[in-house]
Amino acid sequence: VSARWSVEQVLSLAPDPASASAARKLAQPPPWSDTGATDTLVWGLCAGSGKTPYQTIVDLTGPAYKCSCPSRKFPCKHALGLLLLWSGGGVPAAPAPADYAKAWQDSRVERAAAAAARPRPQRDEQAAAKRAEQRAQRVTAGLEELEIWLRDQVRNGLSGVAGSYRHAEGIAARMIDAQAPGVAGRLRRLSTVPASGDGWPARLLAGYGQLHLLARAHAQLDVLPPEFAATVRSHVGYQVSRESVLEEPAVREDWLVLGVRDVLDATIPTRRTYLRGRQSGRYALVLAFDPQGMFGGNPDAALPPGTVLAADLHFYPGRPPLRAAIGERRGDPAPADPPDVPFDFADQLREWAAVLALDPWASDWPAVLRGVPVPGEPTWLLAEPTGDGVPLLHVADPWVLAAVSGGEPVIVAGEWSADGFRPVTVWHGTAAVPL
Amino acid sequence: VTNFPELVAAATVGIAQRPLAITELPAPAGAHVTILDPDPAGAVLDAAALLDAARRAGRLMPVPVSAAPVAAPDAAPEIPPGAGLLIEELLQHGPVDVVPELLGAAARAGFRAPAPLLPALLSAATSNSGLRAVVADVAGERGRWLAAQHPDWLPVVDAGSLPIVDDAWQIGRPAERRAWLADLRRRDPDAARDVLAAGWTTETGDDRVAFLTVLAERLSAADETFLDAALDDRKAEVRRTAGGLLARLPGSAYSARARQRAANVLSIERRALRRRIVVTLPPETDDAARRDGLDPKPPNKFLGAKAWLLVQIIAAAPLDLWPDLLGDRADNLVSLPVADDFTIDVHAGWRIAAARQRDAGWARALLRVDDQPPPRPGWPSDEALAAVLPVEERQARAAALLGRAALDRVDAALQGCPPPWGDALVNAVRGVVMREVRAVQPAPLGPVLALAARRLPIERATEAAADFRRIADEAPPRTVLPAALRRAADILDLRRRFIEELR
Repeated sequence: VSARWSVEQVLSLAPDPASASAARKLAQPPPWSDTGATDTLVWGLCAGSGKTPYQTIVDLTGPAYKCSCPSRKFPCKHALGLLLLWSGGGVPAAPAPADYAKAWQDSRVERAAAAAARPRPQRDEQAAAKRAEQRAQRVTAGLEELEIWLRDQVRNGLSGVAGSYRHAEGIAARMIDAQAPGVAGRLRRLSTVPASGDGWPARLLAGYGQLHLLARAHAQLDVLPPEFAATVRSHVGYQVSRESVLEEPAVREDWLVLGVRDVLDATIPTRRTYLRGRQSGRYALVLAFDPQGMFGGNPDAALPPGTVLAADLHFYPGRPPLRAAIGERRGDPAPADPPDVPFDFADQLREWAAVLALDPWASDWPAVLRGVPVPGEPTWLLAEPTGDGVPLLHVADPWVLAAVSGGEPVIVAGEWSADGFRPVTVWHGTAAVPL
Repeated sequence: VTNFPELVAAATVGIAQRPLAITELPAPAGAHVTILDPDPAGAVLDAAALLDAARRAGRLMPVPVSAAPVAAPDAAPEIPPGAGLLIEELLQHGPVDVVPELLGAAARAGFRAPAPLLPALLSAATSNSGLRAVVADVAGERGRWLAAQHPDWLPVVDAGSLPIVDDAWQIGRPAERRAWLADLRRRDPDAARDVLAAGWTTETGDDRVAFLTVLAERLSAADETFLDAALDDRKAEVRRTAGGLLARLPGSAYSARARQRAANVLSIERRALRRRIVVTLPPETDDAARRDGLDPKPPNKFLGAKAWLLVQIIAAAPLDLWPDLLGDRADNLVSLPVADDFTIDVHAGWRIAAARQRDAGWARALLRVDDQPPPRPGWPSDEALAAVLPVEERQARAAALLGRAALDRVDAALQGCPPPWGDALVNAVRGVVMREVRAVQPAPLGPVLALAARRLPIERATEAAADFRRIADEAPPRTVLPAALRRAADILDLRRRFIEELR
């Protein structure tokens, strides 16, 4: 019998806070009837406002959800409510699934079998090579244009764009056409810098320098070491298919979930989940994308901070390797102890320098630190017992950090960057508290 | 050597205008100066990339910070995670007014707030006074430590109990001085009064009022001289407060004067078997009467000066005067007719007196005659009277109002019934729901149900929630009560779940 999930685990599947709240209200016997659970399925009838109760089914192996309600949220509050009820022991075990649940499960199995049996379209190696060639040419031509644009900026003077917040939009659009979305994204972010207040020319020139470096590196792609070439390609925005990544050798480990951060103002809303191997200490970043910013249906976006997942990870090419795809899972996320703290601040800084030496375009790197949060201006600081401190960036509510700390050092996981440390999770005893 | 600011300066103006020859760069970028692009613009971009990489890799120099104090350890355990989640959700999505009861239960069970929840609780309590006391109760050492660093939060934890500091009376803030005086009054009533009297003339008017109310505790005949002197105070509220305290001393000269005035205005007239109360209108107020707090000016023009004086004179008299004077018990006296249409004025006086003197017998009798005069100033509401009654009696009264469908008066009556509600009241709520649920335009029971959901005893929560849901399910379509019933059931479930999580 598979272990019942914890409340936190169930709620992490919720597409938004309102769904979680609504689901909690449904997590009690009264609206439910004819509930049951097997090792892989949970089902029940939920009385709603209409005459016919909703049929709600959850396949725990996916997890996958099915509900006859009209909600467009996924999973809906009924599926979550049913899981919460089950999680609290409120759903009796049944020897066999109810008919409608069985029918749904069977159709899923059939579909999966059909998909597996369907012959994969034969890769036309020649056509693929040709497409890759065309793309490389397009990117090369685009980056040559970028290089001319950058030199013009420096030659004519940055002061010409003072106060503008869209000066690079045109060249950014050109980079989209040239199939270099990574470069386009950097240009869009730089576009607003001249309107960002004191010191903007320095920030703009630094950004131009990085772009110039990227264009120069891309021009020599053939002679770069393969791993570094992959790093350059990833920053330019060449896509790597998940399928090809899953063919990379697996790293089998117990992965501790360090933290989850949603980037909702990105072009496509993204959930970033940071992991660290318990034995190797190796970091990994799993990305999940959803245009609506609702990550509920994606199992890669449902890893509760502070749990540990036994799974195979496959890393995307590039160095230092960080982004990864989750392959085979060998269990569900399970409760875990807080992470070890590998470095003090000085060593963390050395680690960061080593990351930049391998990837000069890296903007941040995962870190687990131990320190005391201290109020300060313009930012709070995380202080080491020795009395050294680093700025805390983008903390929604630093007082939560202070409350957990009580003036004593706490373990914090987050993103280390050139400007400071962005905390994502703090450990309160053995409990992981998202920030 | 070209450093980054020089690079920025040249690039800002444009190297077409301000050419820049880069021959040397600061270490560690300096090692790579030979690879710079021959084109001057390319060279600036190359140098920018090198110097920026060096800056980002090396810039984060730890800075010294001053050591902060450490929170004292907490002995009490934190509220369990499930219960903490419920509180967090209530703070975010409401209804917040359920939180005080739940936190109170947690505090009584020996728990304190989970540390990560403290900022949300303290923030909520700064703007919601109903949360203050209970948040102070569950804040623990960690909460007090946190609040001490946040100016907005400090008053929240202070609200719990003001520490009594030895020299508070000499140098404290008003609230601290009052707390100090109240503490002394509890231990040594005479000493407290003497301390107050010693500095009396130097206190501000507001402070005199605040400190005088402290004397309500352990009030005795020994306080009379001081209080009687306060009847000559400059501030009207001080005079009123002093009068109120003197009225509670049956043997005081003030009470004797009040009795004397009252004895002159009411009498009994017997004709055959019928009795009635006859009013003798009082004379104009003299200085002595005004000193005792009688106000010659009516609050509005619809009330005559004499009638207003009559109300005040009756209100000021100890209620035990009337059975002796008029020869009958309260419940009979309130039913007697009053000559010349003075019934409402006489009853107004008695109502004020019953509420002030907290006399349940008189309050009960006056509520039973159920005067419902048109709105008029100075008429104590039924609820002010009912507040004097024992809790069970208040509940019975609210239940009776529910039964009579006097719904316009029932909300206020229910408000006056603190939790937990007894079976009779619970059944009365259920009865009125059953009666109204089939109506297409039912009485607005939302407030009744909302209050019931919060005040039903926790032991009956499961049963009541199921009952409410069943009634809602069986209600005819297009009626409005089911929604209110389901909301009430949700609140009941939430309270029960919280208590279960505490176990």
